Amino acid sequence: NYNMDNSGKEKEALALIAEADKKRKCSRGFGILFGGSSRKYEEACDMYVRAGNMFKMAKNWSAAGSAFSQAAQLHLQMDNKLDGAINFLDAGNAFKKVDPQEAINCLTQVIEIYTDMGRFTIAAKHHISIAEIYESELLDVNKAISHYEQAADYYKGEESTSAANKCLLKVATYAAQLEQYQKAIDIYEQIGTYAMDSVLLKYGAKDHFFKAALCHFCVDMLNARLSVQRYEEMFPAFSDARECKLVKKLLDAYEEQDVDGFTNAVKDFDTISRLDQWNTTMLLRIKKQIQDEESDLR
Amino acid sequence: MQCNTYGKMAYPKTHNPFADDDEEEPQPRSRVGFDDRQEQGMTEADRKQRYLKQEVMRTANSAVESSQRSLALIYESEKMGTETAEELMRQGEALKRTEKMVDNMDQDLKTSQKHINSIKSVWGGLVSYFKAKPETTKMPEEPVAYQASSKLQNALSHSKEHEDKYQASHPNLRKLDTGGFGATASVDKKSSSQNGYPANEHLRAAHQRLDNNLDEMSLGLSRLKNLGMGLQSEIEDQDASLDNLLGKVDKMDLKINKTNEQLKKL
Repeated sequence: NYNMDNSGKEKEALALIAEADKKRKCSRGFGILFGGSSRKYEEACDMYVRAGNMFKMAKNWSAAGSAFSQAAQLHLQMDNKLDGAINFLDAGNAFKKVDPQEAINCLTQVIEIYTDMGRFTIAAKHHISIAEIYESELLDVNKAISHYEQAADYYKGEESTSAANKCLLKVATYAAQLEQYQKAIDIYEQIGTYAMDSVLLKYGAKDHFFKAALCHFCVDMLNARLSVQRYEEMFPAFSDARECKLVKKLLDAYEEQDVDGFTNAVKDFDTISRLDQWNTTMLLRIKKQIQDEESDLR
Repeated sequence: MQCNTYGKMAYPKTHNPFADDDEEEPQPRSRVGFDDRQEQGMTEADRKQRYLKQEVMRTANSAVESSQRSLALIYESEKMGTETAEELMRQGEALKRTEKMVDNMDQDLKTSQKHINSIKSVWGGLVSYFKAKPETTKMPEEPVAYQASSKLQNALSHSKEHEDKYQASHPNLRKLDTGGFGATASVDKKSSSQNGYPANEHLRAAHQRLDNNLDEMSLGLSRLKNLGMGLQSEIEDQDASLDNLLGKVDKMDLKINKTNEQLKKL
């Protein structure tokens, strides 16, 4: 019964779309002469939206998406920017489930409209949505990074530093994975410095400095040592952190080309606080450097 | 069997049940102060002592392991606390933005009310023309960067004072005398003669590890406490903001309804 209901909805929706198309064509012909055209367009828009909702009920996401897109385009023609944006958003959400690329196209339109109106916060939120699609479905890390960066810029412009930092952290995570270490270092140092002055955020500052130190380490051991010293001067509490002690132990192990010492230090740390995926990857890279150098010397 | 019953009946008053486990053969213990008893006594006492040392070692190790686990839990809590703090800050910013937008809406509504008045009647329009410009609520020139509550600073300094006093008074927080166990054992000639010394080393090391862990735990706990208090004051502030916002939005709702009705009548 439930299935029949939904397929019934689909038929209804298709009928609505046909009607809406007719209204549109009809009004286009006489539109210029008669003022009633805009009303016809609005009715067509309503029908498109209703059809879209019905398609959603029937879980026919791509049809729903195209119905909403049509409504949005009509709104734009009528210069109803805000309604157009809302419908494009509906379209994007529907497409997200079946056609990520199309969803991104719709969301891009949404962003254009909002940035035109100067609503940067909302635009930033949608940039994040697009970045998430690139992260999970389309697996294009570079594009994801650029969208997160754009979102961070918009948030910064609106003085929403915490939201901006959240995006920047994602940028840094991916940049480091792609071995763009300098970029990651700059971000982690910037956020760490910001955090250490904040009453609430200072407890997390050590994590940022730790990550920055690891990135330095991947590039050059000496840089890592110098940067750790710098962080300790800037932020004395960092010296007490177990992360700082771990980095120092690792630096020593690296100098002595001691792979076992390195591994043991990491294991000790891990028994108390689990290292997350990113940290583990970085540490493995550093360890590999030691092993490579070791084998070179042999 | 007969031997056992015989042994049971002959237990001395200072019977140590643990010593039975080490006994390879059931020995009658009723005889006191004889030569073979002396020999057995040495072995028995020795064995007892060794066993007790093992027990102590085991207890110390399990205490160290337990403190490791506690330390891990504390760090985990701290991690969750910092993540919560970040989310709270973000939320606080969002609240401030929302409040600003509601204020903007309020301004816009006032403007549209003026327009409606001018439409309704020419006289009304003239009146509003001559009326002083509606006081634009003091908008900050640029959006102010969000600052978390600074009430915490006082709380922090207070807690630091109390912390020292607390540590001095609380019996458990006074530093354990690690040397104690090791020292007395090494002085005790009886035990140091055989395998006393290494055991003391291990024990001392275990106790030191335990102490270190306890110190770290206490630092971690105080950080957690401060973090918790910071979160609490931040949440209180946001609660107040939310109530404020709720009031403004309700008033806004009424105004919009009024405006809608006016528009319908036009």
